[in-house]
Amino acid sequence: MANLVIMPRQGQSVESCIITAWHKKKGDKVSEGDIIYSYETDKSAFDEPSAFSGTMLEVFVSEGDVVPCLDPVCIIGNEGEDISSLMPQKGEKSEKSPAAEQPASAENKSAPAAPEKTGEVIPNQRVKISPRARKLALESGVDMTKVVPTGPNGRIIERDINAALDRGERAGVAAVEAFLDGRLQVVPEEKATADTAALKKAEGAPSANDFGEYEEVAMSGVRRAISRSMHASLSEMAQLTLNTSFDATKLMEYRSSLKAGGEALGLPKISLGDMVFFAASRALAANPDVNATLSDDKIRKYKHANIGLAVDTERGLLVPTIFGADTMSLAEISRASKAAAAKAREGALTPDEMSGGTFTVTNLGSLGIESFTPVINPPQVAILGVCGITHRVKEDGTVYPAMGLSLTIDHRALDGAPAAKFLNSLAKSLENFDLLLAK
Amino acid sequence: MPKSQYISPADAFEKGYLEFDKIPLCRYDKTLDEEKKLYSKEDFLRIYRDMRIIREFETMLNEIKTKSVYNGVAYNNPGPAHLSIGQEASAVGQAYCLDINDFTFGSHRSHGEILAKGLSSINKLDEKELYDIMKEFLGGNILSVVEGSEEKKGDVKDLAVDFLLYGALAEIFARTTGFNRGLGGSMHAFFIPFGIFPNNAIVGGAAPVALGAALYKRSCHKKGIVVANSGDGALGRGPVLEALNMANMDQIRKLWGMDGKYDDTGMPILFNVFNNFYGMGGQTRGETMGFDVAARLGAGFAPGMMHAEKVNGYDPLAVIDATTRKKELLVNGEGPAFLEVATYRVSGHSPSDSSTYRSAEEIEEWKKACPIAAYRKKMVEGKVATDAEFDEIESGIIKRMTKICKMATDETISPRMDLDREPDIISGIMFSNTNTPKMDTEREPEVLIPKEENPRVKQLASKSRTAFDENGEMLPKIKQFGLRDGIFEAIIDKFYEDPTTIAYGEDNRDWGGAFAVYRGLTEALPYHRFFNAPISEAAIVGSAVGYAMAGGRAIVELMYADFIGCAGDEIFNQLSKWQSMSAGILKMPVVVRVSVGSKYGAQHSQDWTALCAHIPGLKVCFPATPYDAKGLMTEALNGTDPVIFFESQRIYDVGEQFHKGGVPTEPYTVKFGEPDVKREGKDVTILTIGAVLYRALDAAKKLESEYGISAEVIDARSIVPFNYEKVIESVKKTGKIVIVGDACDRNSVMRDMASNITEMAFDYLDAPPAVFGSRNWITPAFEFEKYFFPQADGIIDVISQKLMPINGRTYTVNETELEHIERSKAGV
Repeated sequence: MANLVIMPRQGQSVESCIITAWHKKKGDKVSEGDIIYSYETDKSAFDEPSAFSGTMLEVFVSEGDVVPCLDPVCIIGNEGEDISSLMPQKGEKSEKSPAAEQPASAENKSAPAAPEKTGEVIPNQRVKISPRARKLALESGVDMTKVVPTGPNGRIIERDINAALDRGERAGVAAVEAFLDGRLQVVPEEKATADTAALKKAEGAPSANDFGEYEEVAMSGVRRAISRSMHASLSEMAQLTLNTSFDATKLMEYRSSLKAGGEALGLPKISLGDMVFFAASRALAANPDVNATLSDDKIRKYKHANIGLAVDTERGLLVPTIFGADTMSLAEISRASKAAAAKAREGALTPDEMSGGTFTVTNLGSLGIESFTPVINPPQVAILGVCGITHRVKEDGTVYPAMGLSLTIDHRALDGAPAAKFLNSLAKSLENFDLLLAK
Repeated sequence: MPKSQYISPADAFEKGYLEFDKIPLCRYDKTLDEEKKLYSKEDFLRIYRDMRIIREFETMLNEIKTKSVYNGVAYNNPGPAHLSIGQEASAVGQAYCLDINDFTFGSHRSHGEILAKGLSSINKLDEKELYDIMKEFLGGNILSVVEGSEEKKGDVKDLAVDFLLYGALAEIFARTTGFNRGLGGSMHAFFIPFGIFPNNAIVGGAAPVALGAALYKRSCHKKGIVVANSGDGALGRGPVLEALNMANMDQIRKLWGMDGKYDDTGMPILFNVFNNFYGMGGQTRGETMGFDVAARLGAGFAPGMMHAEKVNGYDPLAVIDATTRKKELLVNGEGPAFLEVATYRVSGHSPSDSSTYRSAEEIEEWKKACPIAAYRKKMVEGKVATDAEFDEIESGIIKRMTKICKMATDETISPRMDLDREPDIISGIMFSNTNTPKMDTEREPEVLIPKEENPRVKQLASKSRTAFDENGEMLPKIKQFGLRDGIFEAIIDKFYEDPTTIAYGEDNRDWGGAFAVYRGLTEALPYHRFFNAPISEAAIVGSAVGYAMAGGRAIVELMYADFIGCAGDEIFNQLSKWQSMSAGILKMPVVVRVSVGSKYGAQHSQDWTALCAHIPGLKVCFPATPYDAKGLMTEALNGTDPVIFFESQRIYDVGEQFHKGGVPTEPYTVKFGEPDVKREGKDVTILTIGAVLYRALDAAKKLESEYGISAEVIDARSIVPFNYEKVIESVKKTGKIVIVGDACDRNSVMRDMASNITEMAFDYLDAPPAVFGSRNWITPAFEFEKYFFPQADGIIDVISQKLMPINGRTYTVNETELEHIERSKAGV
């Protein structure tokens, strides 16, 4: 009877062996105990003795072949015997290619699912954000209120900031700082009030809740726009305010004269503000450094003065632009200002009418403010605040009406000295308003 | 298990009796007249002087410790002082007959042994040699203190006594002018140029170390013998018994000669037990041991009974007589030998000892038997010298000791290391960091055949140096040059380069190591360079320490990393500390190969890198590719620092999949401490330690194909030292890192790395570094491996749970913070 000889398994970890030598070839006589072949694992070498006597009828593998353990190696039997049943099936290979064993890579490879939201950014709640995401937020000025956390335990991670940036959600670095600083220091509100209440109660003092009533009002669109723009203004610019005043005697005299006879000439009711606005338009035309905007490291100096007029409305501060103010007469400026202010109060301004300014004039003088710090309307580089009239004493003891001017500049675009020069020339021209008109 | 030795049932079951020879007990009975033929008057007086110096040295320390003043010199010494008052004759008797070439290793109580050997060496060296030794040692630092400002003409030997006493005392007082710059201290003082090797604060710690020095003499054909001193208490320690057994291995006499080709002499080591009858307070005879007479132990290790003998340690002449006979046996190749020297310490174990364990009468009786007084009496009565002569010696010693004590306590001439001014001075000696390819450049390496004829070398020539064929298809493993082959190649190259290199461990020879790394070395090397050690991990590592101390390079293998525990003291206290405790005088070129198992359960599958990395003074690496394994092994073998070389049984057969061009055949090195980026990526970093690299790569592939996440995989390769720069660079890019290894999570190297990365890259992190190790369990059976060891899917789960949640991921493990809090509560 013919016998199939297989490659023995030498240890659990051995997968295949290498045939190093055949000591019997096909047709050779074999006795039990004869070494028929030698083989090696990666750990040791072995000689395989025959368990059978007979003739080597078939040899399946050659010297140097790698043979998986338990695979057939040869057949020993009697000459002429039918060994077909012992022959390996066709197509069976003694050596499997490990590469072929690998399952074919998934054909239906679909795009990976988008990260799932794992938390909520709640105002006044502690924000969970990784140091890396925090760094990126601060660098990019992403709108933190639009970031969707997808990190573990609701943490905002880098990819969340990137996703918001990809959607174009930006609010400026200052907004991120405010958001992170505020939120990271604030204890969740509910807990704070509860704790405080408990504490106060224990002390027998009136509870904070007793006087803590409030009305919560959602910010209007205008309010939000002002909020964003003003905050960006203060956080992104290097603002510096210069204050001065001038002797408004002549200015007031001129206004009195207009009051008396202006109407007869068909002139509008010209205010002190109009007169400052007029003087500013002339000074700006002569000082393009101040009549400028700054964005993306580029300063644009304008030939004409398109002056924004800050108008207080019920909905908030609006700033319509008086285009080409430097080309207008005092009366024209006065008319244009009145028309723009009226439109603003009616809420009829178009966005175009509120952009394109190269400078802004804001007037709190009529409200009795002596001096203030106007906030620049980006990307402009300066804003003029018109203050109220106070009375001052000269060296000789005479009293004169002094009108205050507050000029805020963006020090990034403009230095203090040229700004001071501009302010001084403006003050001089207002002190000698009659001469200015004569120009 | 050499095939040449046949074990038959007939022999195994043969009837009969095992017989023992008699062990002589205190049989010395020479008369003084007989001795006068051997010793001159000068010799007799020198024996007295040496004993009296030791007595005065210990008395001085006792006064300083208990009264803070000695002969008017005030000093407070906070360090230890284990004194040996009463044991002077034992130490002097032993040292008397030893030469410079003979090494002594100290016991736990060894001031006397050190001084005795030093005084003996001073007597034996000629004046020029002696002066040169003193002048060269530590740049002449100690010499200049004892010599003063002017070079002393005249009595060099007298100067050398000052040198010895001062160097030892300054060391005990932690002065930078001590023998080891004050870094060794009382328990670790030694002076190699006089043949004084370290004593040991670990009781019995020196025995396997001393065996290693003897092995060095034996394998490198060096002159001289080694004396392993220990106390009787040390005989209860496993490493001492292991060393006794290993020194007696049959193969040394029966196989190492290789049919006349090489020496067949026995191990040249004398195990000398100073039996003072107490451990600290535990009484060995009658309480903590059962041997009754310590010399009995010699009978248990070999048919020759180690020539065991007990001698009266209160008679210096008896000790000299016995030690001389033992030395002669060793020199004639009849070693090893065992000598019990019965003695007694009348001082306490330490100054805080109130002798609660022994009676005042007992101490009084031993005081009356004082070996120094008895010797003097015998000499005076035997008309060797007069009392006046002895008095003169005595007063000279007291004067000298007062001078030495004054010098050693004087801050101006004996300063301590100034760590304010030089804060890195100890950092600088933790490793020697040398490149020393050959420890001996004069001898040729002894090998049996040319390297090219080695069957393994020939077999490897037919293997592919990369894992892939020319079409980029993975070759069958058996055709790949594997990780085990990389280690083998580095080691066989070193054997043919450095004549001192030896390798041993369990089943190394014939078998080729349990994991066949050493297959082919048997054919290449004689027994004395490559042999099977007994199953004695402590003796295996301990002897490697001694072999390196003596000047050789050793590669020892602990079959499984789990056996590190069996060699705990040897790895953690001996191997790691001797370079720095010697202030850089000693080098420690030892590579300890340990293999992390798999499929073998709780005591055979542990990655203990953290244990080794925790101990200062060890370099630790864990290569996972053939290229890195060969390069790191070559680097380890070129250096002189102790390296714990971790290997993994999971990947011995992996071929080189990363290094372009595969594993070079010629030697090259991979520097310690440099991690290697095995796969580049941009979204997340996976830092791997050891074999888990391949599972991490599988995870990276899946992350890419299924989730579009690009993972960077960094292989740590080394653990100590470790350069974080490359990892930080990667974290700056990805912001996210998971550290993966097969070690149990708690207190692992991974945890340490996570903590360091957090500190070093906090602002760049998008999540705290995640750690994914094995569970804090026993290693369960192979069938449960996936629940225990980190798998590729688990790595992805951890990334999703801790770093960047992956939408739609179905988890295989729970590694969330909540789960970790619960596990930690339960201690698992």
